[in-house]
Amino acid sequence: MEEMDQEYVERCRNGEPDDFRFLVERYQKPLFAYLAGRLRDRALAEEAAQESFVRAFFALRRLDKPGAFHAWLLGIGRRVVHEFQRRAVRQVTVDCSWEPVDQKTERDWENDHLEEAIAALPESCQQVILLRFYEQLSCQEVADRLNLPLGTVTKTLSRAYAQLRHHLQSSTDPNPVGQPEVKP
Amino acid sequence: MNCLECQENLVAYLECVLDKSEALACREHLDACSSCRRECDALTRLQQRLATRGQVAARVSVVGRVMGRIRDTQSERSSSIHMIKTLLRWGLGAGAIAGVALVAVVLFSAKGQALASEVMAKGALAAKRLTSVHLQCRVRTAPGENFAHIDPSMDFVKVDLWKDCRRPSKWRVDKPGRVAVMDGQSTTLYLRAANAALKVPQPSAAAFDTGWLHELADIEQTLGAEMRLAQSKGSSLELSRETDASGAAKAVVTLETQSGLPDGDYLKNAFFNTADTRRVYRFDEPSGQLEALQVFLHTPSGDVLVMEVDRIEYNPTLDPGLFDLALPQNVNWIEEPKPAPDDPQAAAMTAEQAARAFFEACGREDWTEVSKYWPLPIDDRFKAFLSGVKVLQLGDSFTSTANDARFVPYEIQFKDGNVKKFNLALKRNGPGKRWTIDGGL
Repeated sequence: MEEMDQEYVERCRNGEPDDFRFLVERYQKPLFAYLAGRLRDRALAEEAAQESFVRAFFALRRLDKPGAFHAWLLGIGRRVVHEFQRRAVRQVTVDCSWEPVDQKTERDWENDHLEEAIAALPESCQQVILLRFYEQLSCQEVADRLNLPLGTVTKTLSRAYAQLRHHLQSSTDPNPVGQPEVKP
Repeated sequence: MNCLECQENLVAYLECVLDKSEALACREHLDACSSCRRECDALTRLQQRLATRGQVAARVSVVGRVMGRIRDTQSERSSSIHMIKTLLRWGLGAGAIAGVALVAVVLFSAKGQALASEVMAKGALAAKRLTSVHLQCRVRTAPGENFAHIDPSMDFVKVDLWKDCRRPSKWRVDKPGRVAVMDGQSTTLYLRAANAALKVPQPSAAAFDTGWLHELADIEQTLGAEMRLAQSKGSSLELSRETDASGAAKAVVTLETQSGLPDGDYLKNAFFNTADTRRVYRFDEPSGQLEALQVFLHTPSGDVLVMEVDRIEYNPTLDPGLFDLALPQNVNWIEEPKPAPDDPQAAAMTAEQAARAFFEACGREDWTEVSKYWPLPIDDRFKAFLSGVKVLQLGDSFTSTANDARFVPYEIQFKDGNVKKFNLALKRNGPGKRWTIDGGL
C-alpha cells in the first residue's frame, strides 16, 4: 500500500518539505480537473493549481486533520478560483488544448461535485479512483501498484462508486448518476 | 446468476476482468433483468464522467513548478542577507557540447521533438527516487559572491552540491568564498572571507540563494519541467546523437528558451531566468542517465558558457562530515535586524536618501551609522575599502521587473582617488522596513 497523506503531511511539518512533492503528484490531476471545470481555461487552471498547492504547503500547520488533505486542498482551490474570477486576471480564452466534450458538459461541470465527492471518500477508495481514472491505470495495474489482489481493487472500486453516487445524489449535482437519463 | 451475484460482479464485468464464463453469465443476466441493466447503465455513466476528467487532466504536471515556488519562498523567508536575490529559477540556456565527435543527425522534425521528449523522460525515470546525489559544477562567478551570482566576464569557479535525500534530508553547497549546510535540523551559511555566519534554526529546502542548484539536483523534476516548458511555450527540443572517444553512445537534447523579460530591463540577461538562452543536456544512451549539462548565455558578442555540470554522481556514499559545518571559534554571527528607535524616520527615507546616508557615513567612518544600512559584519577589509569615500553623484532610483530592489545609480571617489560608477541595490528589510544594501558595491 502506498503511504498515506497523513504521513506525508507530518513529514512536511517536521522539516521534510521535499515530501510535499508526493502530495502534489497524488492530487495535481484531480485538483486540475476541479479547477479547469470552474475556470474553463487550461492555462488559468494550471496557474490556479500551482497557487493552491503553494498556499497549502505554507498553511500545512493549520490543517487539523492531515488525513483530510485532499478535501482541504479542494477548499483552498475553491477560494483560489473565486479570487481569480473576482480579479478577472484574464479574459476567458479559447485554448486549443482545452477540449470540452460539449457545451452542455462544460456548463454542467462548473457546478458538479465530483471532485468533492472523491475527496470525501475513505482514503483507500480515493487511492483506487485516482489511480484508475486520473492516472489512467487499468485495474490490474492498480493492483500491481498497490500490491493488492485484483478482486480487492474491483471491490474497492465498487464501494467507491456506491459512495460517490450517494454523495452526488445528496448534493446538488446536475448529473445524477443513480437515475437513467430521460431520452426525448 | 441472480441479481445479487450480478451486482457484486458488475464492476469487474465493466472492467473486463471477469473470466469468460462469469462474463457470459453476467451478460445474460443483464439482458434479462431491467433493474440490473439500469444499475449497469448508471455505473457506466459514472465511469465515463470519471474517465473524462482523467483525460482532461492527463497531461498536467505542476510538481516542478510548485516545488520551485516553495523553494524560492522558503529561501527568501530564511535569508536575512538580501544580497541581489537570484532569480535563478532554472530558466536559462545552454550551448553546444565540445570535445565529442558528432556522428549522427540532428533531428528538428516533430518526430525529432518526440524522440527528444522520450530521451528526457527516460532521464527523469533514471533519476527517480534518488537517495543521494553529488553535482560538480563550474560557474562563471565571483568566488565570494552569493551562490546565484553569474557573470560571463569572470573566470570559472568550482561549485559543489551534495544532497542526502533520505530522511531527514541534508545538503551542502560549497564554493571557494562561502558554504551553506543544512544538517537536518538547521541551515547555516558561512562567509569565509568575512569569517561571518548566519544560522536559520530550521531545516530549509534551499536557503541562501541555492535554489537553482537544488532544482538541478532534482533531476527527475527538472527534466520533466523542461519538457513541459518546451511544450507550453512552443520552444523546440532538438535531439542529436554522439559517440564519445570511448565509443559510448550519447543523446544530446538542446532547448532554446526566452525569459520573457522586457528588453532594456536592468537585469535582462544578468541572471539565468532573466536571460534568453539555450540549454544542452547530455544523456548516456544505454542507461538514460543525465551525465552533463552546459548553459550558454547569449551575449552581443556571441554565446558564452556560464555554467557547466561536468559530473553527476547518482546515489554516492556521502561522508556524514559533509553536513557537520565546523566554524572558527571567533566567527562573527550575523543577527536578524531588531527594532530601533529611529525606525520611523528610516522608513520614511527614499532609496536615494538611504544610499547617500550610507556612503556619507562610510566617508566619515561612522561605522555605527553604516551598520544601519549594511547587513554583514563590518570588518577591517570593509573599512579599508570604503573609509573616506566621497559621493560625486547620485541618480534617480529605478527598478527591475525581475527583482523588488531599488537601484540607485552612484558615482563615488575612493581615498586613493579612484572613481567608481555603478548601481547600488537597496531593499526594505527587517521589522522597521529600513533600507538595507542588497548589492551593487
